Amino acid sequence: MLSKRHTDAGLGVLLKATIALTAVFLLLPVVMTVIMSFDSRNYLGQFPPPSLSTQWFTKFAHNGYLWSGLRTSLLLATATTVGATTVGALAALAISRMTAQWRDPVTTAFLSPLVLPGVIIGFALLMAFSALSAVPTFLKMLAGHLLITVPFTIRMTLIGLAGISATLGEAALSLGANERQSFFTIILPLAKNSIAAGAIFAFAFSMDDLTISLFLSDFNTYPLPVALVGLMRSNFDLTLAAAAVFLMGLTVIILIVLDRIFGLERVIGHGIYKA
Amino acid sequence: MNVLELKDVTKKYGEFVAVEGVCLEIEEGKILSLLGPSGCGKSTTLRMIAGFTTPNSGTVAIAGENVDHLKPYERNVGLLFQDYALFPHMTVEQNVAYGLRYRGTPKPMIPSRVQQMLSLVRMLGMEARYPSQLSGGQQQRVALARALATDPQIVLLDEPLSALDAKLRLELRIELKEILRSVGATTIVVTHDQEEALSLGDEVVVMHAGKVIQRGSPIEIYKAPADKFVAEFVGRSNWFCATRRGRSSGDLSSYITSNGIEIRTRSAPTDRRGSADLCIRPEHIELMDVTQGVVSDEPDQNLLEGVVVDVAPLGADVHVVVDLPGETRLQVIRKNVGRIPTVVPGQPVRLCFAASDVLVFPT
Repeated sequence: MLSKRHTDAGLGVLLKATIALTAVFLLLPVVMTVIMSFDSRNYLGQFPPPSLSTQWFTKFAHNGYLWSGLRTSLLLATATTVGATTVGALAALAISRMTAQWRDPVTTAFLSPLVLPGVIIGFALLMAFSALSAVPTFLKMLAGHLLITVPFTIRMTLIGLAGISATLGEAALSLGANERQSFFTIILPLAKNSIAAGAIFAFAFSMDDLTISLFLSDFNTYPLPVALVGLMRSNFDLTLAAAAVFLMGLTVIILIVLDRIFGLERVIGHGIYKA
Repeated sequence: MNVLELKDVTKKYGEFVAVEGVCLEIEEGKILSLLGPSGCGKSTTLRMIAGFTTPNSGTVAIAGENVDHLKPYERNVGLLFQDYALFPHMTVEQNVAYGLRYRGTPKPMIPSRVQQMLSLVRMLGMEARYPSQLSGGQQQRVALARALATDPQIVLLDEPLSALDAKLRLELRIELKEILRSVGATTIVVTHDQEEALSLGDEVVVMHAGKVIQRGSPIEIYKAPADKFVAEFVGRSNWFCATRRGRSSGDLSSYITSNGIEIRTRSAPTDRRGSADLCIRPEHIELMDVTQGVVSDEPDQNLLEGVVVDVAPLGADVHVVVDLPGETRLQVIRKNVGRIPTVVPGQPVRLCFAASDVLVFPT
């Protein structure tokens, strides 16, 4: 019979193995994509590639279709982030000041887009916009992206505000600051990190969205995910892998910049202010 | 001159009456303790003075001026919050300077005023620290400095010492009183802790269920409580349900408890026969060994017999629990000085207390 100590040791090994397998499971596709993007073969062959080259990156660099998509995506994600963060932070502030009987129904209403599948939101927006003729494609997609990202910015800001004791605002008032001054000097600085975390989510969701954009984009204005899917259907080659690796590089750069500004651990790790 | 005056103030939350007809005034430079259990309306009263809540009826006046329509930032009331409410993203210096900035102190004057306040609370040299880098006691000093910096007309302290451990509490209590006196601050201390209330306040106001029950000096509150609630809430007490017997000699009355124990009292508020709650403080009871000779039965003394159940030597005091016949249990507190008889559980003892020490509350 195994002693308790042996059982514990066995479970410890099992736990470590699970962690290792999970890490492999998460990272393996990424690693394979990176390696395949340097494939020297000019057709899609078996992994691993026999030799390396940068031909797919050259092809990606000269692919106007994908660059146009990337430009649209970055513009769209930036506009979405600014819009969703502003609207979300203000909505969260209003919600946090409501009495308990209103807070829950209003929060639920604001977060409801989260439970709808993107396909349904996309289709619904398509129907709605077909009634209004002259809306530019970019604005249609922006509306769709705001719809799916505002719940996240509200959520994150609410988490941040919940961590701020009500007495802090009252202390500011008792010290002679009015509501506006107490908001800008106390509440906003303390909620800053969670608002930033919401903004990061908004940017990432907008960059990543395919389903809603698929319904709302057209031949002239389309985001990168739509372009990638289009390319995959028409001409499936490793330009896709090169584009993916380029995006990963971009993400790493953005994260390093954020880390310098806010401290990444605090933005993504906690999201809420810890006194 | 009354710095603060509350006139017939009532605050309701729906059906619930939090504060009912409270009248309160405080003279300049005095410290007033507002004492009561949680939910008695003391915090609501504090919030109405600070301006966070408006009364349904009645008026709040500061320095003779009605402030009902004024926002918190339009009143000059200093607040020390129970959780200190120091701004976590600001240094000690920025925290103390915050009120000066918004109360219109000229900018060049701010640093010297901050230094002055920090020296008052003995926190010089800590200017650059953040609240999270301070101990509980230090945070409290900074919060006090911040509240006093703008020279408020009234200082409100909300459970100022409850977040500190027992030893620190005693130290800071003395210091707090010293600081408040040195700046001559008119202060209201809101607390549920009787020790805090009695030790800090020049006067104590006891609140219960939204109403002011009694106002008096700490000694008065303890020695002559207005009703059973105050007697029970302030200090320790032993209680007997008793019925008055007809005859009494001189100004003495005689009561019989439900367990048949006779208790003599001096204070007889009414002449009618009737039932009353009798209260005797544990420190007023004398403990004697049964073998200690014969004790003459003085008419103004009560003499009971019982058996020791528990002895707890707590340093300065010895707490003894004694069972009387008929399942009555008494607490006795003896000072641990001089020659006190050592008692052990199971030992029969005599209890003696003066008729004048018994508090009578007719029911």
